[in-house]
Amino acid sequence: MSDYKALQEAVLKGDIKTALEQTQKAIDAKDVARDVLDNGLIPAMDEMGDRFAKGVAFVPQMLRAAKTMQECVKLLQPLFAEGDITSKGKVLIGTVKGDLHDIGKNLVAMMLEGAGFTIVDIGVDVSPDKFVEKVKETNPDIVGMSALLSTTMPAMPETIEALKTAGLRDNIKIMIGGAPVTEKYATQIEADSYASDAGSAVAKAKELLGIS
Amino acid sequence: MSAKEVKKKKARQIWLNVLPDDLWVKVDKGVSIWEALEHTDVDIDGDCGGMGTCGKCKVKVVSEVYPPSAEDEDVLDQDEIDQGIRLACQTKINQDMVIYTGEEEEEEEFLKILTTSHVVQDLYIPLSGIDPLVDKRLVILPPDIQQDGLSDMDAIKQVLGPEYNYLKAPLSCLRKLTRNLKETAFHGTAILNQQWLLDWQSESKAGRGYGLVFDLGTSTVVGKLLSLNDGTEVGVTSCLNSQSRHGADVISRLQYIKDNAKGVARMHKLLVGDLNRLTSHLLKTAGLTKQDIFVAVAAGNTVMQHFLLNLTPIGIAEAPFSPVVTDGLINKAIDVGLKLPDTAILYTLPMKSGYVGGDLLSVVLTSGVAEQKDEIYLGLDLGTNGEIFLGSGKRLLTCSAAAGPALEGAKISSGMIAKAGAIENVSIDGDGNISYRIIGNIKPRGICGSGLVDLIAVLLHLGIIDDEGLIRPPDESKNKELASRLVKRGSIYDFRIASAKESGTGKAVYLTQNDVRALQLAKAAIAAGVETLINEMGITVKDIDRVYLAGALGNYVDPLSTIRIGLLPQVDVQIIKSLGNAASQGAAMVLLSKKYWYKTTQLADFIEHVELSSAPGFNDNFIDHMSFPNQNTW
Repeated sequence: MSDYKALQEAVLKGDIKTALEQTQKAIDAKDVARDVLDNGLIPAMDEMGDRFAKGVAFVPQMLRAAKTMQECVKLLQPLFAEGDITSKGKVLIGTVKGDLHDIGKNLVAMMLEGAGFTIVDIGVDVSPDKFVEKVKETNPDIVGMSALLSTTMPAMPETIEALKTAGLRDNIKIMIGGAPVTEKYATQIEADSYASDAGSAVAKAKELLGIS
Repeated sequence: MSAKEVKKKKARQIWLNVLPDDLWVKVDKGVSIWEALEHTDVDIDGDCGGMGTCGKCKVKVVSEVYPPSAEDEDVLDQDEIDQGIRLACQTKINQDMVIYTGEEEEEEEFLKILTTSHVVQDLYIPLSGIDPLVDKRLVILPPDIQQDGLSDMDAIKQVLGPEYNYLKAPLSCLRKLTRNLKETAFHGTAILNQQWLLDWQSESKAGRGYGLVFDLGTSTVVGKLLSLNDGTEVGVTSCLNSQSRHGADVISRLQYIKDNAKGVARMHKLLVGDLNRLTSHLLKTAGLTKQDIFVAVAAGNTVMQHFLLNLTPIGIAEAPFSPVVTDGLINKAIDVGLKLPDTAILYTLPMKSGYVGGDLLSVVLTSGVAEQKDEIYLGLDLGTNGEIFLGSGKRLLTCSAAAGPALEGAKISSGMIAKAGAIENVSIDGDGNISYRIIGNIKPRGICGSGLVDLIAVLLHLGIIDDEGLIRPPDESKNKELASRLVKRGSIYDFRIASAKESGTGKAVYLTQNDVRALQLAKAAIAAGVETLINEMGITVKDIDRVYLAGALGNYVDPLSTIRIGLLPQVDVQIIKSLGNAASQGAAMVLLSKKYWYKTTQLADFIEHVELSSAPGFNDNFIDHMSFPNQNTW
């Protein structure tokens, strides 16, 4: 197994060119694609998530890192053996009704994707009914809701209520986030988890599904 | 909210004693200090509207202290907790309680809000153009006109001529009309507004006629008193918007009215109360009485204009952001609650949308952009919502960028509004020494928007902050003095602007890493808004001929700093001009000339509103602009 330090550094810097070179180097050295992913790329994204959560890294850096990783995964794609890419779980994610902000939601989606989750992004201004419809359709493990305005936060409990009424609540874990949202609010509306930022969203999602 | 508090039918009444005002408030057991003070004159800060997150509603509990709540522990330091300091919004009153709400104001604090306009001419409009919203016409009714049993009103119509064929009058005027005509011996002044005779006054009063202009800012309300005869400004004054106790920004206040059945009425009352105080102060200073006021014009963001009229702006709280009305309205001032004569009229400016209000139309009017055929103007009113316009008389685009209150110093750890003790300007000398200009020339107590923009520009220049917005560790800094000001907090560093000794509050003043992040988000929102409009217009930054900055920040901020941090695009600094308090200036132009009233209505139709949250490319622009430009423009 190779040392993926140079690859990881390139991902953290968002240096797509070097990252691709390093990935190619590993491929040429007959490294197993799965190792490059598990020991190279994913730990780099975990590190980025950690830096973001601590305030050392900011949104553009995290996005660049995520994009760099995506490019590397594309390069590895043909080499994955069957069963190599096992999803850690499926996350349905959307911004609640009345709210058009999606940057935070997109970041969470990208980080989760980088960490190996399958993402179903249903966009912004998503009504409770649409959440219900999409949950039925895609059967996710986790439903993520985002709200940036304190005035649109009440759409979260409304959505949870709609999921309950549809009899879907017990099949899924609910995770919420967004600038005005707090841990306390999550408890109050009986969501299963709250993540303060995209970095910690990954840890929380893993925690919810009992994976490390 | 799911957890509704069940109110006990017979809640026990207890007393809250508020020092230093020594106010006694009877409260129901279990309400928070914040709620208890809501209906009193005691003003406590609070940006988040009582949600327990901003940490600004600190009070000192002098009586028995409860253990701190989780929110207290999040935002207060151990020293404060030990001293009995708690968050008013999180502290429930379960027994009689004594609290101390902060230092007694030694003297009236001097507010540095932009009250003058940086226009070349002294007058808002040339004397020849004065044609105020309310006309005063000297009318002499010939003795023979009263024959044939002609009514008083018809007699006046005949003299005024065909222009006033459809003249009407309110009952309040009609009831006094016969007496007034007699008292003035039929030589008097008709006070006219559109097709209405508002009043008949003695000839000697013809020279006295004044109007008011109100700029309804989310943080500050400005009032101006103008002569309707020659357009001169007789007085100007400002105060903090009293609604601030229910949140620093529009969203928090919308949240408040969502949560409180009487919220709109309260917001309306607070705002009208401010306007009445400003009015009485202006009149007293000028030696006038309210009888001298005939008309007022108010401009503000759409939410503020709704609150003024006691309309609910709740639709603006969520997409698709629908207001009740966007038309310019003409109402009797007393119907709105203003303490003005029965006959005085209140004009509220037309608006474009939920987030582009009369204030922006006022700025557009003041800039004269709509008269431009060949030149392209970019205008920014920098506040909690950054309102932006771009274009010319051929096509004019506007948008509202949700910058958040960081640019006004709110939600910044040591942020404050521009008042005594606020750092308003930061500069460096050749040796890299930083110097601060502080309002009132006293020890610094915090930093306001213009100071924040300057400080970050300076720290970028010195390499203390990198292009990604990270405050670098001290070992990466060459300057020993500056390095010693970097304080480690976990994995990040904060920059100490002033130590506890150097500051005016006895507590150190910091620029934290989180403050830098907040500014990055705010400036990115504005810059992305500008870029979206530039793209929509199909031009480049080079095509912009002039940049106008309005609003308090827009006038005090150093244009170079705005470019250095990437708030403004890389334009020639020479083309950046300040428009002064353009919101009140535009309203003054309307007050003094009917032409401008019609113009604002046309403008509201002419301008195109670009909704940023659904504009293609906005998100990518937003993220791109979060970093700082790396080229050194200094």
